[in-house]
Amino acid sequence: MGVPVKNLTDRLGGINLYGGSLSLITMDGKLLLNGIPNTKFIYANGTIFLQFMWPNGFKNFPCSNDTPETYKLDIDGKEYNVRCSTVEISGVQSVYALALSHEGIASFVYSKISYSHIALVVTMVLLVIPLVFFVSSMITNAQREICLHDKLIKQMEATQQAERKSMNKSLALVGASHDIRAALAGITGFIDLCLANAAPGSDFETYLKQMSLCAQDLLGLLNSILDTSKIEAGMMNLEEQEFNLADLIEHVVDLYHPVGMIKGVDVVLDPCDGSIIKLSQVKGDRGKLVQILSNILSNAVKYTVEGHVCVRAWVGKPDFETKILASTRKGLGKYMSSLFSGKNDGNSDIKAVSAVRQNRDSVEIVFEVDDTGKGIPKEKQKSVFENYVQVKETAAGQVGTGLGLGIVQSLVRLMGGEIGIVDKEFGEKGTCFRFNVFLTAFEIQGDAMYGGTNSSFAIRNCSPKLGICTPSPKLDGSQVVLFMQNIERRRVSQKFLESLGISVLVVDHCHHFPSALKKIQSKLNYLLNSSRRSDMSCRSDISSSSSKEMPLSAMEGTEHKLPFNRRKDTPSFILLVIDVNAESFSELWRVVAEFRRGLHSTCCKVIWLDKPTSPCIDPKRLNPDDEILLQPFHGSRLHRVIKLLSEFGNLSQGLSSSSESSKHPYGKTRLRHTQCNDEIQGYVSSSNERYSKQGSSSPTLERTRGRLKSKRKNKDGAESSNGEKPLIGKRILIAEDNKMLSILAITTATQLGADVEHCENGNEAFELVCDGLKAQRNYDYILMDCEMLPMNGYEATRRIRIEEERYGVRIPIIALTAHTSGTEAMEAGMDAHLNKPLKTNELIEVIESIETKE
Amino acid sequence: MEVGQMQRRLVDYTKSLFMEGFLDAQFLQLQQLQDESNPDFVVEVVSLFFDDSEKLLNDLTMALDQPNVDFKKVDAHVHQLKGSSSSIGAQRVKNACIAFRSFCEEQNIDATLRCLQQVKQEYYLVKNKLETMLRLEQQIVAAGGSIPMIELGF
Repeated sequence: MGVPVKNLTDRLGGINLYGGSLSLITMDGKLLLNGIPNTKFIYANGTIFLQFMWPNGFKNFPCSNDTPETYKLDIDGKEYNVRCSTVEISGVQSVYALALSHEGIASFVYSKISYSHIALVVTMVLLVIPLVFFVSSMITNAQREICLHDKLIKQMEATQQAERKSMNKSLALVGASHDIRAALAGITGFIDLCLANAAPGSDFETYLKQMSLCAQDLLGLLNSILDTSKIEAGMMNLEEQEFNLADLIEHVVDLYHPVGMIKGVDVVLDPCDGSIIKLSQVKGDRGKLVQILSNILSNAVKYTVEGHVCVRAWVGKPDFETKILASTRKGLGKYMSSLFSGKNDGNSDIKAVSAVRQNRDSVEIVFEVDDTGKGIPKEKQKSVFENYVQVKETAAGQVGTGLGLGIVQSLVRLMGGEIGIVDKEFGEKGTCFRFNVFLTAFEIQGDAMYGGTNSSFAIRNCSPKLGICTPSPKLDGSQVVLFMQNIERRRVSQKFLESLGISVLVVDHCHHFPSALKKIQSKLNYLLNSSRRSDMSCRSDISSSSSKEMPLSAMEGTEHKLPFNRRKDTPSFILLVIDVNAESFSELWRVVAEFRRGLHSTCCKVIWLDKPTSPCIDPKRLNPDDEILLQPFHGSRLHRVIKLLSEFGNLSQGLSSSSESSKHPYGKTRLRHTQCNDEIQGYVSSSNERYSKQGSSSPTLERTRGRLKSKRKNKDGAESSNGEKPLIGKRILIAEDNKMLSILAITTATQLGADVEHCENGNEAFELVCDGLKAQRNYDYILMDCEMLPMNGYEATRRIRIEEERYGVRIPIIALTAHTSGTEAMEAGMDAHLNKPLKTNELIEVIESIETKE
Repeated sequence: MEVGQMQRRLVDYTKSLFMEGFLDAQFLQLQQLQDESNPDFVVEVVSLFFDDSEKLLNDLTMALDQPNVDFKKVDAHVHQLKGSSSSIGAQRVKNACIAFRSFCEEQNIDATLRCLQQVKQEYYLVKNKLETMLRLEQQIVAAGGSIPMIELGF
């Protein structure tokens, strides 16, 4: 065979027949493999038989036919298929018998098949189920989407319709505004006409006045409503107008200051860093800005009962955001910027905003209105800007339609800004509104008003209204003491003054005031002494200020810093700003007078801040140098006072340095004085006290009281026209026995300028007249009381007349009677009669009539 | 009290005196005679009035107490009182004096006694009022304020 039999049989035996077995025998009868149990091969007659042995017999099967044959046999209880056939293995004829269990491999395959069937089914199922889910969810989504889409469309339609409706309403209202206003104007006009014809003081007039007030209220309400609708209808346009921003703010604050003062709330204007003042002229819509500020300010004052309302304004720094917006124009930059600014529909919004901001000259002005009132609770803060909402926890009696803040917000947005409520520090009560608007800067004022370092500027800016800008280095040497009652105002003024380089000492309590002054006094004396000691060879300035002074900052102990080598003089100037609210005037005056006595060579000037409504300062007791300013102390008044300082500094410098400023100090001070004059007179016109200023000399305030309407007495005592003192130079004899009446008559006549003599009865009168006649010094008039004892007036007159005839004179005798008719007097020879008690105007009339008769 | 408040009180008080007839326009004349050269004129005149009137009233009381009343003297006193009160503007006192005088002419003792009572009453009333007013003025001046002028529409 060529192949070892053993290998073959091993190999064949090793085949896994899956429960089957193999038997193999060669034709020659050589048994190779006997795998099938209970069998053996039998060789007989040239054929091979497979013999099966059973417990009860055996059976033979022919196996060596050429064609394979299959027999079913039952071995050990299992059914087997036995297959017999001849086979040729490497040239050796042999017979094999293969017994396979009926199920055998097939069953194995079947099991495998079923296994794979199962697997397949499971897989299918696993695939199908998600698919089903997926499909179903898609379907439901689609359905939902369709549903939503429908709803959305309906909603949008409804919104659009509502908007259209509202727009139409607004448009209709705007259209009707003209007519409404015309009708209201008609009503007001006719009411005024009626008022002109109404009997004064009658009920009718009162009713008409009430009607007029109601009509005005109606007009106001109408205006607010119309403003809102105008803004909504998009018809509100911005006007362009030049104006001075600092003036405008001050004007609005001053408008509300009296209202606030009545409530006890101080309305303060905080100049912050002075940036608004630098920016003098701007272009923008003045009216709307005033409206915005007035609205917010009136709200603040309305809802505050104590404390202060502070208005701040400053120029905003260029925004980081705007820079980004400005620089990035396309692509990634745009996306990034919209990302940072957190807007979803970023681009269109950004474009709209940058349109306003892109203007090269545009400045952003930020305003803040800060009050110490009730405050607005957080949850209501957003809603106050929605029209028609007014925070309801208001004190009784505060009215308002609630339209204001909504309009304000719209207006602010129109001007390119935004308004919001700022959170205050913890523990501070009240509300702080902050908003910004964009205006165009028209002209930025140049340099210093103060200091006069630059000649050209000092000459150019003569009007005190122009801006104050950079702190002047020459302001040292002045010391300002601020004594004010209101904390906020004090803080604001102090900050501003200090930012300009002026040293400020703040006194907050009346008790501290004298001690603070003493401290200054002692420092001054110390400096004075030390400067005298170390400074003997130096020339001193003509006036009391110098060019290199020691800055007096009284809060730090600077005594040890005296540089002995420098030429120095005492600090030039002390300015006291005293608020009369804080303490009684006489007390303050006393303290100040003491302080003044203690000063030697330093100039001290006091500015008294008085209330415009009820002035309580007695100007007689003031120094001629002092001035009275009316509150509120901010804005232009603050600037004027500051100029005082620098001007004093300038004043001396002008003398010592030869330049331009020499021609200014007096001119400026004069200008200042007259402007003070005008302003004070403007305030006082309605008050009972009459303030009048003297002309070119140092400003003194004078009070005239109780003058007759046509006459005014001049303080200097200059004799003026006869109209003021008609009896000047005349000698008058008054004969009256009643003490009181005589005093009255004497004073009356003296006030009219006459020289008065007095006697108590007719006898004396007669004697005096005779003496006068003899001495050729006659009285010009005689006032004769008619009821006197022992000799009454009539008798005396008769006698006098007789005596007069001897000299050929006739002295006018005026009778003073208690009777109304003067017949008896005239019969006695008197020239006129007056009723007791004597009245000045009657006396003058009578005298004039006598004069004209003669 | 704050100066403004005091001033207002003074003004109101003075006005009430005029409204109630205690004072008349003559008092305003007095106020007008007060000025820088004569700063305390009103106070002086009012004090003088008080002194004068007290004296006169005493004299009147004594005169009417006599068993034989000398009406001439009484009349003279009342005349003086009338003059004083009219010079200061004490209207009600003056009117009472006028009534007094007419009864004096009639020589009616009972009536004159009654008149005297009335005059005294009016005098004390106006004295009280004037003193209060002057005190208010003093307080205002002491507090550093100035006396406000009254302008009445007479």
